Amino acid sequence: MSSAFDASEFLAGYLVEAEEHLSASTMNLLAVEGSLRKGENNPRAVRELFRSLHTIKGLSAMVGVEPIVDIAHAMETVLRQADRAAGALSAKAVEALLAGLRAIGERVRALSTNAPVAPAPPHLLDALAALEITKNEVPQAVELDLEPAVLGKLSATEKAQIIQGAEGGRRALRVDFVPSPARAAEGMTITTVRERIGTFAEIVKVVPLSIPMSDAAPGGLAFALLVLTDVPDEELAAAVGTTPELVRRVLHPRPEGGADPLDEPSSAEEDVGETEGRRRGVVRVDVARLDDALERLSALVITRFRLARAVDALAAQGVAVGELGDIVKSYGRQVRDLRGAIMRARMVPVAELLERVPLIVRGLSRTTKKPVRVAIDAGKAELDKAVAERIFPAIVHLLRNAVDHAIEPPAERRHLGKPEEGLVRVTCFERSTNQLELGIIDDGRGIDREAVARKASRPVPENDAALLDLITQPGLTTLEQATKTSGRGLGMDIVRRAVVEELGGELSLRTTPGVGTTFTLLIPLTITIVDAFSFVCGDQTFVAPVAAIEEVVEVAPAGLVRGPSRHTRFGEVRFMERRGEIVPLVNLASVFSLASGDEPKALVVRRNGTPLAFGIQRMVGQQEVVIRPLEDPLVKVTGVSGSTDLGDGRPTLVLDLVALSGALSQNRTEVPV
Amino acid sequence: MTGSEKEVNGRTSGGRGRVTEILVVDDSKVMREMIVACLRVIEAFTFTHAASGLEAIEKLALKDFDLVVLDLNMPDIGGFEVIEFIRGQDKLKRLPILVVTTRGDEGSRSRALGAGASQFMTKPFTPDAILANVQSMLRQDAAGFHE
Amino acid sequence: MSELYVVFKVEDGEYVLPASDVLHMESFAGATKVPGTQSYVAGLIHIRGRVVPVVDLRLRFGLPRIEPTLDSRVIVVQSGERTVGLLVDSAREIMKIAPEGLSAPPSWMGGESAGFVKSVAHVERRPGEKRLVMLVNFSKIIGQEGIYVDERNV
Repeated sequence: MSSAFDASEFLAGYLVEAEEHLSASTMNLLAVEGSLRKGENNPRAVRELFRSLHTIKGLSAMVGVEPIVDIAHAMETVLRQADRAAGALSAKAVEALLAGLRAIGERVRALSTNAPVAPAPPHLLDALAALEITKNEVPQAVELDLEPAVLGKLSATEKAQIIQGAEGGRRALRVDFVPSPARAAEGMTITTVRERIGTFAEIVKVVPLSIPMSDAAPGGLAFALLVLTDVPDEELAAAVGTTPELVRRVLHPRPEGGADPLDEPSSAEEDVGETEGRRRGVVRVDVARLDDALERLSALVITRFRLARAVDALAAQGVAVGELGDIVKSYGRQVRDLRGAIMRARMVPVAELLERVPLIVRGLSRTTKKPVRVAIDAGKAELDKAVAERIFPAIVHLLRNAVDHAIEPPAERRHLGKPEEGLVRVTCFERSTNQLELGIIDDGRGIDREAVARKASRPVPENDAALLDLITQPGLTTLEQATKTSGRGLGMDIVRRAVVEELGGELSLRTTPGVGTTFTLLIPLTITIVDAFSFVCGDQTFVAPVAAIEEVVEVAPAGLVRGPSRHTRFGEVRFMERRGEIVPLVNLASVFSLASGDEPKALVVRRNGTPLAFGIQRMVGQQEVVIRPLEDPLVKVTGVSGSTDLGDGRPTLVLDLVALSGALSQNRTEVPV
Repeated sequence: MTGSEKEVNGRTSGGRGRVTEILVVDDSKVMREMIVACLRVIEAFTFTHAASGLEAIEKLALKDFDLVVLDLNMPDIGGFEVIEFIRGQDKLKRLPILVVTTRGDEGSRSRALGAGASQFMTKPFTPDAILANVQSMLRQDAAGFHE
Repeated sequence: MSELYVVFKVEDGEYVLPASDVLHMESFAGATKVPGTQSYVAGLIHIRGRVVPVVDLRLRFGLPRIEPTLDSRVIVVQSGERTVGLLVDSAREIMKIAPEGLSAPPSWMGGESAGFVKSVAHVERRPGEKRLVMLVNFSKIIGQEGIYVDERNV
């Protein structure tokens, strides 16, 4: 073997990726099982499963774990057949595949603990080989409205997926994305476009197409995206940077069709989290479902207000309302408690988040040939799932740095009079009601300020804070030689980005040469993440939560009516008609005293039943954003609820258009503040 | 004729020639890192990663590369489609494509080569083997007798 | 014991702030405007992960607005719970001032900038070359009074 490459160096990375594919596969297999109960196939989940197993097989072959290669190969064969049969898998097959995943999981864990890896169980391989995949009837041929260059790239499974989706009532659409260096510079690439569209649509297929080169298409390339979705054309068009007219229907839904919903077996509760969940009495729930519950809860809150008003009105008329007042009050309390309960359901124990840490450290320890002990003290703290997901990669990165760079090789430690086994500790406690302090502590050699300064060609930092500033500069490789486990270019800037920029937390460092290093991460227990529209108005980009916007409409200047003397300090109020309702329109740029211009689009919001449309320049897209509240009195204004980072390094304002509409309607002659 | 313009650095002692841009396409990050680890002994090689077939096609359209190392099994569109697409483009007709895949069966091999792959090798591979393949492909490309 | 001060310029005036209150100094690459705020609030910037409001000191002092230059700096100052950036024309040096060197501002210092100067000091840059520096009143600059619509802006 050439000295350039040693598979064992990649073991840590292998373990992480294998675990990821295993848990994704478990979820996909459960999804297949869920579909199976409804008598449906799930071609997409089957394809994902196939891919995961194939990747596990390839990686395992590279690091030389033959038993896993064997099991993955047997599973992959079953899944390839199922994929060709449009996703058909029997209950028996699902069971055998689950057993396969468990067997791989056991072996991956054995590998991570240096234990011997058991050979592939022959009965499992036999069971998998004995499975027969019966081909389900493939849906009848339906004409899809696509040119041959695109149609020819669709497999039978993908066509079936389109037809099934359209029968389920969704629209099958096609839109083209044209990549360019300019768009790539703005972060708009096929990868980000797919991610964005994936949040509101099911992507069936993306077909690359050669198109004539032009200024708009310097690469001579377009991607045709075929999707199933419920969202308006505008959103899809905005996501690929085109206009709604260029969104085309591929297939028109049939009026009837789809199974009668009443025929479905009523076993919804059993749909989620069977394997792992049952073990601990835990149900895994998609966060989106909890968000959905919260949204429904807000409807309940509105009902409560209406109820309270109705009771007040009765009382004002002299009606004896008796206990009603008290009932309304306790109802309000209960709604509040319910909200708290749902918020708590989003919390995951930090201990659970850190469960994988020993595995990761063991893998790293093996790779670097440094014995390392890991001690975790997570206590009982809990963390919002969204925060947990964002913070975990930062923790992994700090652990990698600790084992790779901080902990000295055993011989050196012995020489220094330290125990040969290095120690990495992860601690966690709740600092306040909304803050968690995570510590990642090693007893290694400490960070050499002078070496870092030399490497960066900067003056030697005078204290730990300045050192942290320096090592979190993007692109700085802090060590004499970046070892392979950490990879090149993986800098501390990632950690800073996750902790500080994304979560609005704090990062600090304490290091003592020869004694060790402590990184302290102060993170919020919960963050506000919302699905938001981004749009341009007065040449400035803003975002507003999707939930607050009733509709995005086109403004037809010809259809606008100007009322008498409705000039206000925030511009002229005009009226438009929308489904029989008169909606006032104000130019958002004028409201904000920005250079106002065209307003081809408007965002309609409703407050206490009264609609108001805000004219804007253009829609940019839709994405999940982390909202950071603006607390300083200098910038606390009505209509601006916080700021977010859309990735350009500049704060983007998050607008509360409902509150703004309230301020405008209360005081028509003054600029809202 | 991008290939004949550049001085391909086929010998490890080089480094004076132009850099050789290699696009490494695989959805597994570890696998990409392994491939790069095998090839980075040649200083003149610079690497660009693509984690999916679509990303690869996009990068190829927007930038010139000297060689592609391509996996067949990927989430969005598979390696076969990527090869077909590359070969359907005038400016990419001669781009050397090295397929590196777990699919060792003869069907995949002939399908990949039939679609226009320049070389085919299976995982697991040894560093020497992949390096030798890449260097010979670049030499052929420079000499102009690819195909 | 002398204390360290950060020296910065706004128009022709030289001002100082205690270095212990200054978190960072950064060049200025524009800020995100927040509609409805005072005209002297230049907007929001990201600095080391914080989102910080920036006060344009020229406007705060009632001086004419100028385009930021390469010399423009944002001095991020922390005072109690609040962290605010001050946009100044330039900021280059740090100097020591002994407490006895500071004296009350002369009475002629009024008008628009009334109250923004806490005290003044005559310092010697080079032997024989004295100059006047003004210690700004940070809490007055970021004061919570007057969070209302700026009439001049409309």
